Amino acid sequence: MSVAEPRLERGMRNGASLERTLRLSLATGALALALLYVSGLIYLLVRGGYRLVAFTSIATPLADIQGEPMARAGLAAIVFGSFGWVASSIANFASAKIRGAYLPKRFTRPAVVAIALFGALLLRDHLPRFLIALPSETRAGGGIGPEIFNTLYFAVLSTSLTLPVGVGAALYMARFAHAKKFVGLLRTALDTLASLPSIVYGLFGFLVFVVQMKLGYSLFAGAFVLALLNLPLVVGVAEESLRAVPRELEEASLAVGATDVQTALYVTIPYAWPGILSALVLSIGRVFAESAPLIMTAGTTISRATAYSLDPLRGGETLAVHLWYVNSAGLAPDKADVSAGTAATLVVLILLTNIVAARLARYGGATGTRLQAATK
Amino acid sequence: MNIAATAGPKAEQEPREHGPITRVRVLDGVIRVALVGCGAFVLIATIAILLFLGRAGVRGIQAVGISQLISGVLWKPEADLFGGLPLIVGTFVSAIGAVIVGAIPAMFAAVWANEFASKALCPLYRRTMEVAAAIPSVVYGWLALVYLVPAMESLAHVIRPNQTTSGEGLAAASLLLGIMIAPTVLLLSLDSLSRVPSALRDASAALGGSPWQTAMRVCLPHSWRGIVIALFFGFARAAGETMAVQMVIGGARKLPGDLFSPTTTISTQIVMDMQNAMPNTTGSNVLFSMSLVLLVVSVVVVLFTRGLTRQGRQGRSRRPA
Repeated sequence: MSVAEPRLERGMRNGASLERTLRLSLATGALALALLYVSGLIYLLVRGGYRLVAFTSIATPLADIQGEPMARAGLAAIVFGSFGWVASSIANFASAKIRGAYLPKRFTRPAVVAIALFGALLLRDHLPRFLIALPSETRAGGGIGPEIFNTLYFAVLSTSLTLPVGVGAALYMARFAHAKKFVGLLRTALDTLASLPSIVYGLFGFLVFVVQMKLGYSLFAGAFVLALLNLPLVVGVAEESLRAVPRELEEASLAVGATDVQTALYVTIPYAWPGILSALVLSIGRVFAESAPLIMTAGTTISRATAYSLDPLRGGETLAVHLWYVNSAGLAPDKADVSAGTAATLVVLILLTNIVAARLARYGGATGTRLQAATK
Repeated sequence: MNIAATAGPKAEQEPREHGPITRVRVLDGVIRVALVGCGAFVLIATIAILLFLGRAGVRGIQAVGISQLISGVLWKPEADLFGGLPLIVGTFVSAIGAVIVGAIPAMFAAVWANEFASKALCPLYRRTMEVAAAIPSVVYGWLALVYLVPAMESLAHVIRPNQTTSGEGLAAASLLLGIMIAPTVLLLSLDSLSRVPSALRDASAALGGSPWQTAMRVCLPHSWRGIVIALFFGFARAAGETMAVQMVIGGARKLPGDLFSPTTTISTQIVMDMQNAMPNTTGSNVLFSMSLVLLVVSVVVVLFTRGLTRQGRQGRSRRPA
């Protein structure tokens, strides 16, 4: 009677069960890590979210601060505009599922604008109190109205510096640079800028604007420092998307007699625009998130008289700075709730910038659909 | 700039000398100069940052003395005592702790996401981590202040029942920093792992390597440069992080007895003292001197990264295509 030969199978290889265990533990660890972030994000939105949607039926009276009506109307336009955008996206999705076609854009776009205008004009004073009230250091019921205004204003100020300088430097490096040494130096400078911790930028801004120029804490100093902080990111992504522009397009432009500067301005930059824009949106996300350099350049206070002023030489805190300040120096009894609401607002803003940047990057950029369609 | 003499610009510039000066041509010149100006602005800004900080920092070192600044154990600006050792120890210990508890697990998570996760799961995982990396550091800091610090306090009570602590300290800071740098390290490692050529994977599989063996003995070794760069970036980010650490480190300006007692870091001390210190005094200048430590860390990381990337490029180019 012969002994049956054991059949060879993959699972019988030496150490296969150990490998299976290791793989399982690796997967568990990785998914647990992701779960940590997802649950934290959901917690933030749930914990602070109710303060952001607590619309009031009784109108909140204006506090008699210069510029407050306009700031409120602007915030209402943004809030209701994004509601309209979400609603139109859902309607679009449903329409695609049911009818098999998207809603016509000439119908959805005016609808979103109309909702935003309606909110800005009529529901301005019914926004959640938390979003439009002034902050309070000692009493309960403080809001984050000026902080939201400052955060958005910082985004505008710093982008108006980052955009020309960043795109200019990127265009120079991608298309016009013939001096190899200069470009090498420039790359080293950008690498250095990218690796500096943000507190170092804050120290620099403090030294130049507050100490040397004696401007005191100002929004301009903060915006300048943030623009410097964002330059490496913007130059890097913009250069990459400028380099991805098909050479044929530029040659066609040169062939009909355009100069190379005209080609760059009218062909290369418009073509690379979605990629550049996605870098700008990401840099705006960093403006929202940064706090250490702003504490040292723009200060941690809100003065009532200039809470909504457009003067860039006044100081003021952003949402991120406020979140820190409330927890380290605030005495308000409801500081846990104020922090939760501020954190939720910040997270919503960051999520928005991320979604917009991802959409733009998918549309343009080196691997974008736009380029694939053009070079097919 | 005089190396600019390549064939391209010469061919464009030659007819310019003969033709009439038109508006287009003037505009061209202006825009060209503006573009060079943008590049020069970046360069000048970088040099200005290094010069300004260096000057103030050197003044601080001259006033206090470098040995005192590095090895002194008491930081008391009100008594003109500037011993920087607690700050330096706090910064480096918390950053190394962050790399151990955050960056190394993130590295393995990247291996899982790239090698073992299904095709549908990997982009989702990546997206989650991109969002996690974009969440502001103060938000992490606030969550840690509310939840991590009490948890650390309980843990400290379990370990040493007889002593009282507040839970603030290096352990809380390391864990928080680990959670903060993990997404960044993971994304950078993932980038590096996804550049491993599929031919290497196929070759490993053809020799009978299991997926685990392929991942651990082919893909990880092949992309070690990128992963080491990712770890170093994580370390630099953890060392430079300010507000979140400030919220959980406790702020005691002395060397900590253990991981659960309050201490301080360089960036924490800068942001706390700068609000009180008068400009151009020793108290303000030593803060700049301490920031030079952070500057050195980031410059070392840049040089290290450049060296590794260059080495990697050379290695690839030597191989026949």
